[in-house]
Amino acid sequence: MIQFISHFTERYSYLDGIRLALDGGIRWVQLRMKGATDAEFLRTGEEARKLCDRYDATFIIDDRVELVRELGADGVHLGKKDMPIAEARRILGDDVIIGGTANTFEDIEMHYRASANYIGCGPFRFTTTKEGLSPIIGLEGYRNIMQRVREAGFDIPVVAIGGITSDDIPAIMQTGIAGIALSGAILRADNPKEMIKKILAPNDSQPSMGRVLNGK
Amino acid sequence: MQINVNNKPLSTTATSLGTLATELSLPEKGVAVAVNNKMVPRNLWEQTPLSEGMSVVIIKAACGG
Repeated sequence: MIQFISHFTERYSYLDGIRLALDGGIRWVQLRMKGATDAEFLRTGEEARKLCDRYDATFIIDDRVELVRELGADGVHLGKKDMPIAEARRILGDDVIIGGTANTFEDIEMHYRASANYIGCGPFRFTTTKEGLSPIIGLEGYRNIMQRVREAGFDIPVVAIGGITSDDIPAIMQTGIAGIALSGAILRADNPKEMIKKILAPNDSQPSMGRVLNGK
Repeated sequence: MQINVNNKPLSTTATSLGTLATELSLPEKGVAVAVNNKMVPRNLWEQTPLSEGMSVVIIKAACGG
C-alpha cells in the first residue's frame, strides 16, 4: 500500500505530482500544502478530489480538519502539531479516516486509543522534504515498534514515512509495516513514471493483479 | 481459514476479498485495501481470491478505533 504525499518541485506542481502518482497506479493520495492559504488549498483540493474520483483513489488531506467536508475528502492526516485526533474525531464523526503521525510505539498507542484509523510512522531516515525532524527510526526501530503493536493487539495499519527510497521498501515491508508514504522519492526521480513502476513492483506478490493495477 | 487483517489474525470463511468486504461491512467509499501489500481497486475485490495466511490491509474510517 503506497500513499503519495503531494509536494511540488521546480518541475511539478502539486496537481502534476498527484496526476503522475495516480496514472502510475498509486491509489492513495494525501494533499499536503504547508504554508498555502485555505483558498489555495481549496482550489487545488477540488481538482485533486476530482482526479482521485476518476481513479477510484482514496483522498486524504493534511492538517485542515475544517476543509474535510467542504472538499469531500475521505480523511485527514494530523501531524504532531496539528489538532489532537480525539478532537478531530468529535468534529468529523466516525465516517472519516483520520491518520496520525507517530515517532514511537507510545505515540501509536495514544493515537490508536484516540480512534486514529492509520498511523504514519517515521522518519525512516533523514529527509529534506519535511522540517522539524524527530529522531530517525530505521529498520530496527520499525521491527521493534511493529512487534509491540502486534503484542498489544492493535489492529491499526502503520505506514512508514520519511526519506524512504524504492530500494528500502522490501526490507521495511518485512517488519510488519502496512505501507509506505512517499513524496520526494517519486517527484525527484529522473523519471517519476518509471520510479512508480519500480516502487509498485517489489510489493507485487501477485503478478496477475499487479498487471491490472500498473496498467491503470 | 486464518488470515491477517491489519496485523491481527482473523478467522473467516470468505474465499474472496469481495466476500470479506461484505463480512466486515466495508463502506461504499473511502476505503483502501491491499492484499499481500498490493492495493486492490474495488472493481477487482470480487475476483481477488483469499487463502490461508494472506495479509490484508484496510485503511478506512471506524476501524480499530
